[in-house]
Amino acid sequence: MVDISLHLLDLMQNSARAQATRVVMKITENREKDTLTAIVTDNGIGMDEEEKRLALDPFYTTKKGKKVGLGLPLVVQAARMSGGDVKIESHPVSGTTVEVTFSLSHPDRQPLGDIPATLVSFMAGNPDTELSFEYAGDQGTFSMTSSQLFSQEEKETLGQIALLSLAEKRMRAGLAGAGFRPDGGGVIG
Amino acid sequence: MKSIKDLERVKEQALADMRVRSSSGSPRVTVGMGTCGIAAGARETMLAIIDELKKRQKLDVTITETGCIGLCAKEPIVEVHIPGEPRVVYGNVDVSRARQIVASHLVNRKVVDDWVINIRKEDE
Repeated sequence: MVDISLHLLDLMQNSARAQATRVVMKITENREKDTLTAIVTDNGIGMDEEEKRLALDPFYTTKKGKKVGLGLPLVVQAARMSGGDVKIESHPVSGTTVEVTFSLSHPDRQPLGDIPATLVSFMAGNPDTELSFEYAGDQGTFSMTSSQLFSQEEKETLGQIALLSLAEKRMRAGLAGAGFRPDGGGVIG
Repeated sequence: MKSIKDLERVKEQALADMRVRSSSGSPRVTVGMGTCGIAAGARETMLAIIDELKKRQKLDVTITETGCIGLCAKEPIVEVHIPGEPRVVYGNVDVSRARQIVASHLVNRKVVDDWVINIRKEDE
């Protein structure tokens, strides 16, 4: 994974596979504290203590016939190499929250990447999952919920592809308005 | 039912019903979005497909995703299923290939043989 937005897409896919009907992603950039935090919360089937511990093992997977499960271990690696970490809270039935922190200015922090692309591609593959997104940076905030992104008329008249294109346009505009920019990662010095 | 002919009639009717069922609905494009797919660029592949389809909205194609199918080295993997035709699975579908697959396979109904990794008949 070359940037954080790809890790986040992977975490959201985990939620979708855990039968979540609602996924919430929050990204907070704080230059004062020098932190970048990304949280993915879902209402999926969750994990018990044992599964939670095993989830970070790259050779553990819940999929039959597979021998590796690299999603979470890769996120942990990306976070730790930039002085951050991953916290998982999960309970069977109620769902899972994965909180990833990075040190914003760490030279090994990966770039944030194309967040709207992550959101749109998730919406394309999971039309029945309600997706909420929040971004908070030093210059502003932006939030959206997939079910409220379109008017009733748009939902009735536009097809899937047209709606996805419209979603991408609106999210890019909203994020730009909040001062979000896909940065080049941490900086030296 | 009294003879082999009756039996054959029933079979033909059932097959005809199945054809009607499977050829209904719109063409479907499925992108592999497991960890391996995402790492190989499946997100960009999906956005490229959406962008190409946006230019050709009369096509009425449905786009969807699937997880890892076990061919991680061939990711990004894209399956094109036009109802009534075999499912075609393409491998190593980068942005440029994705755009060409939309134009060639979905618009002109011409499979791009060079990138096919599997073809599955309807009932498989």
